[in-house]
Amino acid sequence: MQRHKRFLYQRYPNVEEVGMPSAHRISHVLLCNVTQRVSFWFVVTDPSKNHTLPAVEIQSAIRMNRNRINNAFFLNDQTLEFLRIPSTLAPPTDPPVPIWIIIFGVIFCIVIVATMLLILSGIQQHRRKNEGPSEMEDTEDKCENTITIENGIPCDPLDMKGGHINDAFMTEDERLTPL
Amino acid sequence: MIKGSFLVPYIVMLIVEGMPLLYLELAVGQRMRQGSIGAWRTISPYLSGVGVASVVVSFFLSMYYNVINAWAFWYLFHSFQDPLPWSVCPVNGNRTGYDEECEKATSTQYFWYRKTLNISPSIQENGAVQWEPALCLILAWLLVYLCILRGTESTGKVVYFTASLPYCVLLIYLIRGLTLHGATNGLAYMFTPKMEQLANPKAWINAATQIFFSLGLGFGSLIAFASYNEPSNDCQKHAIIVSLLNSSTSIFASVVTFSIYGFKATFNYESCLNKVILLLTNSFDLEDGFLTASNLEQVKGYLASAYPSKYNEVFPQIKNCSLESELDTAVQGTGLAFIVYTEAIKNMEVSQLWSVLYFFMLLMLGIGSMLGNTAAILTPLTDSKAISSYLPKEAISGLVCFINCAIGMVFTTEAGNYWFDIFNDYAATLSLLLIVLVETVAVCYLYGLRRFESDLRAMTGRKLNWYWKAMWAGVSPLLIVSLFVFYLSDYIMTGTLRYQAWDASQGQLVTKDYPPYALAIIGLLVASSTMCIPLVALGTFITRRLKRGDTAPRA
Repeated sequence: MQRHKRFLYQRYPNVEEVGMPSAHRISHVLLCNVTQRVSFWFVVTDPSKNHTLPAVEIQSAIRMNRNRINNAFFLNDQTLEFLRIPSTLAPPTDPPVPIWIIIFGVIFCIVIVATMLLILSGIQQHRRKNEGPSEMEDTEDKCENTITIENGIPCDPLDMKGGHINDAFMTEDERLTPL
Repeated sequence: MIKGSFLVPYIVMLIVEGMPLLYLELAVGQRMRQGSIGAWRTISPYLSGVGVASVVVSFFLSMYYNVINAWAFWYLFHSFQDPLPWSVCPVNGNRTGYDEECEKATSTQYFWYRKTLNISPSIQENGAVQWEPALCLILAWLLVYLCILRGTESTGKVVYFTASLPYCVLLIYLIRGLTLHGATNGLAYMFTPKMEQLANPKAWINAATQIFFSLGLGFGSLIAFASYNEPSNDCQKHAIIVSLLNSSTSIFASVVTFSIYGFKATFNYESCLNKVILLLTNSFDLEDGFLTASNLEQVKGYLASAYPSKYNEVFPQIKNCSLESELDTAVQGTGLAFIVYTEAIKNMEVSQLWSVLYFFMLLMLGIGSMLGNTAAILTPLTDSKAISSYLPKEAISGLVCFINCAIGMVFTTEAGNYWFDIFNDYAATLSLLLIVLVETVAVCYLYGLRRFESDLRAMTGRKLNWYWKAMWAGVSPLLIVSLFVFYLSDYIMTGTLRYQAWDASQGQLVTKDYPPYALAIIGLLVASSTMCIPLVALGTFITRRLKRGDTAPRA
């Protein structure tokens, strides 16, 4: 309230020029029902007929023009409250196609195209290899550097078969030579 | 998740358990030169069950793990909007306020539980398959298939990418995280050890499980990858480097996580305080700016004594805001990634950029893990002559991906997240412990530690350090046995198993009991992988007996 009083007086500095007695000072502005926050009741009168407009009409009018009223006071829905008029929230902007589907579609197509390309090139390689010796593939996977190849047949150095032959268990079956 | 009290058990478990077992698995793979089934069959035919158990566990893991990638895709695609969809609540029917469920929970929780999962109130209500997560799951499996299509050579190249990119993103996040307001609160929380937690065996079990999972022990993927190494490869050096790198990455990631965590906790604490201040200011018509965070308690006391009746009216709505409780909301696993992080991201500037970066990194990590898993499944399949003679490599990979994708549709139903939690908690933990225990005992005592030592010396040309021998033969098996015992005793003491269900009306998680059929499935999960070991051993024993019975009369 202190702020408002000063504001009023700043608007009308030349109180004397308007014709008011100069004895009017701040002390002549009387306050009542002082609260810690700025709040007031108001009614809207109809100038032609001598009655006040019904509350429901005022409420719907305020609801429609909430934004303009807020802006006039440089306030927003949180700082300017109209009792018993809940604020309506702005509806979210929904694009016709959700954005995420677009991005999903793009990445999906890229992955499918890449997969097709790889599969096709794999099939082509397969056909080309089927004309060459096909036995070399399996052993080449694991023992790359140390296979010596003569006439397309790999010679297995004894150690390189690694765990394929385990001596401890081979002897059991061969203990008794079959008749 | 690494907390201050967690660092000590984590480092101890790494040195005593992680490094020796990693070295063991790499050495076995490199020596036997086969996938997990073949490698263990070579050590002893009775032990091929260990390899089978590893493959079964990997199969379960790949079934449910890719759902995380699907969710990461979902969030990634939604990060290209302004504002981010999880930062605002949707408006309710007559546009007077926000959606009720969203008001009670937070907007990030609402987006996760309602928009992403569309979760049902309990595990019994199955609901239908949600098409949006299903599409993302299909995409995730297609991506995995693309990477494993050509076998390990192509996987190797992809892993360079999926392993290095997260480091760059983590670095960017570290710089951003440390400059956030409130980050120091989180870091202080992370590094202050709580002594009473160290005495709790659960902390040690969690540290051990964390080490197992992050190193990938017991899954068979390490053996599979190592079998492609050259025999003269120095796997000891690699084991030490890999485990140290892995742990320092975990700690690095935890620093980032906790700085962002601290930011989120501070932000929530301050907005909680602001809400209380607003509530009191409105109810008691106080002057704007009179109530601040520092004098809140004083003023509350004054108001309680000066206006007792009005204060008692307002009191139920006043929340007790505490920074500690915000930090203590220890969310783990998927909740951490998708709720906590998104909540922190939405409050940063240029949140779309951070969100895209974060979920891209999550995807890279997830796809990298999936590649390891599928390699663990595919290597034994392609090794076996029976299957690989009928079908080419591409077809086997495609079949595995297709089956996993089809089963994974279960996790996209409305109750899918509850089933996901079942798989996450029970599919791998106990079985892994048992598998690694049997592995260590088999190599040390069945194959013979001296024999293995001489094999390694012949292969790599290096002598085996006494530390490894001591760990393999004594300490690690004992540790795993004690972990096993603690785990089982913990389960026996708590009685039944419980899970967290999302209650839409309250907007928070509630604890419920598992129905009997869910308990049966949990039992089946654990049994199907652990029983492989004795069953296959028994089967081999019987077939040998029969064979010997056939040949004996001839002599």
